[in-house]
Amino acid sequence: MDITQESVNEGLRRAKYVTNERVETAIFLALALEKPLLVEGPAGAGKTEIAKVLSEMLGAELIRLQCYEGLDEARALYEWNYQKQLLRLQADEHQGMRWEDISEHLFSRDYLLERPLLHAISSPHKTVLLIDEIDKADEEFEAFLLELLSDFQASIPELGTIRAITRPVVVLTSNRVRELSEALRRRCLHLFIDFPGIEQERKIIELKVPGIDARLATEAAKFVAAIRKTGVHKSPSIAESLDWARALTRLGIKELSNDAIKSTLGLLLKHEDDRAKVEQKLASLVARR
Amino acid sequence: MSTLRDEILRFIMELRNAGVRVSVAETLDAMNAVAAAGLDRARMREAMAAALIKDEADRPTFDALFGGFFAGPRERGQTEAKRAGTQSSAAPGAMRSEGESFRAGKSREEPTPGGQPKTAKRSEKSAEAKTRAESEKNRESAETSGEKKQRTAERPSDTEPAENGIDAARRARLRVLERTPFENYGDLEYEEVRDLLPRLVRGFRVRLGRRLHRARIGRIDFRRTIRASIQRGGSLVDLRYRSPRPRRIDLLVLADVSGSVRHCAALMLELVAGARAHLSHVRCFAYIDRLAEADFVEGHLVTTPALDVYARSDFGRVLTELWDRREQLLNRATVAVILGDGRNNRRPARADLLREAARRCRAVLWLIPEEPARWGTGDSAILQYQREISTLLPSRNLEELERAMLKIA
Repeated sequence: MDITQESVNEGLRRAKYVTNERVETAIFLALALEKPLLVEGPAGAGKTEIAKVLSEMLGAELIRLQCYEGLDEARALYEWNYQKQLLRLQADEHQGMRWEDISEHLFSRDYLLERPLLHAISSPHKTVLLIDEIDKADEEFEAFLLELLSDFQASIPELGTIRAITRPVVVLTSNRVRELSEALRRRCLHLFIDFPGIEQERKIIELKVPGIDARLATEAAKFVAAIRKTGVHKSPSIAESLDWARALTRLGIKELSNDAIKSTLGLLLKHEDDRAKVEQKLASLVARR
Repeated sequence: MSTLRDEILRFIMELRNAGVRVSVAETLDAMNAVAAAGLDRARMREAMAAALIKDEADRPTFDALFGGFFAGPRERGQTEAKRAGTQSSAAPGAMRSEGESFRAGKSREEPTPGGQPKTAKRSEKSAEAKTRAESEKNRESAETSGEKKQRTAERPSDTEPAENGIDAARRARLRVLERTPFENYGDLEYEEVRDLLPRLVRGFRVRLGRRLHRARIGRIDFRRTIRASIQRGGSLVDLRYRSPRPRRIDLLVLADVSGSVRHCAALMLELVAGARAHLSHVRCFAYIDRLAEADFVEGHLVTTPALDVYARSDFGRVLTELWDRREQLLNRATVAVILGDGRNNRRPARADLLREAARRCRAVLWLIPEEPARWGTGDSAILQYQREISTLLPSRNLEELERAMLKIA
């Protein structure tokens, strides 16, 4: 696919991703300049979705690395398959092979367990590499990522340096549990995604929940936006508002009444406190619509 | 092309002047980004933002500067009209003319119309931007919230359509508030911080948890590691750690909630309350002229017995009360954290009692929300107290308060 701004916009549309110019430009640049894209924003605003949409758009494989505290190279890049190596060693011993012969193939690709990062680099096809919630990983891991992100290469002592054949499209997401290092920020293009506005959310709902009444979609989008403004613990994500809209259509609700909202609020709010808070304010929230 | 390049460089200079960190690599990225995205104004803005702005809190600065710098044909009239009030003439729209010459492929050396005077004006403008940024910084700390609201209303509508939002604005606001000294807090600011507090508490808890986690793993015991390695032919296969010393901390918090420091105290008590899960024994007290157990019920500070909010603070008397209850409250594991300005309304300071109390517990720390220059002036007895305690930590704004709290834990 030839990469122009227009083709990116078109691709996003085809992948059913409703968004604004800011996101479109950032995605286009990430593709055109072949730079990693760092996406920040509140939970549930569609950060991870970007990577999924990109992979669909480019027809590329999506490789996902979920970060967590204590994630290390062995889990992210590669690991030797010890069990297999041991078996091989024992088998070879019976045949009376010399050490030189054994060691030669013990450390070959056959005995290497590819983890997501190595897989993304060594794949002959274009891939989309999603490094999810990088802020949850330790700082050491972040430093380790730097080499990979700037040169798209990794070194394995026994095999040498492995360079990417085709550069993967890299998307990093962060919820800002911790501040990322300046070095990492410098190497990435930055994109901040916030919750969509009412109009945009309505579009998303209509697109992803086929058969929803247009008026109901608008009302639902307005209500969700109102909830987000009340300062609840955990704002409802886009996925949750989609679930909610689906539930509403499934229940055959045509109009948002207090009872209808109350009976389905569990889909939007997952904290008891939040729920109580919103139920209390329900009258004013509905009136504000 | 070279003129466009210079223009972008100058823009980045102004960004830096306004306090945004931009590296050389990012500058190059910005050039490439503009080259790829083209000269459509909105698209160019997003492209440059993606390459240059790595913190959403900097985005308003970027948008404001961009609006003034690369004024488009439509906005040009507006900015000019706006400027006419303060300055006789200005030269926005430079970008446009250069963009055109770039498109038409004119010679590079050809000077843009009125090139010389423009650069003069430009530097004038950059100076203006600098002072603007500086005065903004000052104002942010000094002005009252009413003025602030007005200013946000005045901000050029050029920034971003209503689409963007809640979270970004909240974050940027939190950063400003974190640096606002407590003494400049009005009730409005306090309410605002309270709204933002859950996020702060979460961050504090995460950081605290991580530090305590590291402390739990413990340090490597070198001798035992070496000895264990001998069994394996000298290779350091498994590391032996020193057994973690049982370290119990009883946190005792005394917070002055009298008028002068009440915001700081309430925020600190709430931070401590939020991090309770990580601390084994915590007792919180609020005081003005006497001690009262403090607790948070549904986000409100509740003291038992109730405190007379109009009393004048008297830490000497509080110390006497503390001393009377020393058997319950003070032991070898106690870390006492006192928050207050040490202003005693010229009543007996009783620093001797503080010395005795400090002797009974592991450490006494004092958080003071006052400027160092004002310590010991007027009715402040802080210098007398300072001699008796382990550490005196300034906590003039949220940022310092949080840092001080982490030090304690």
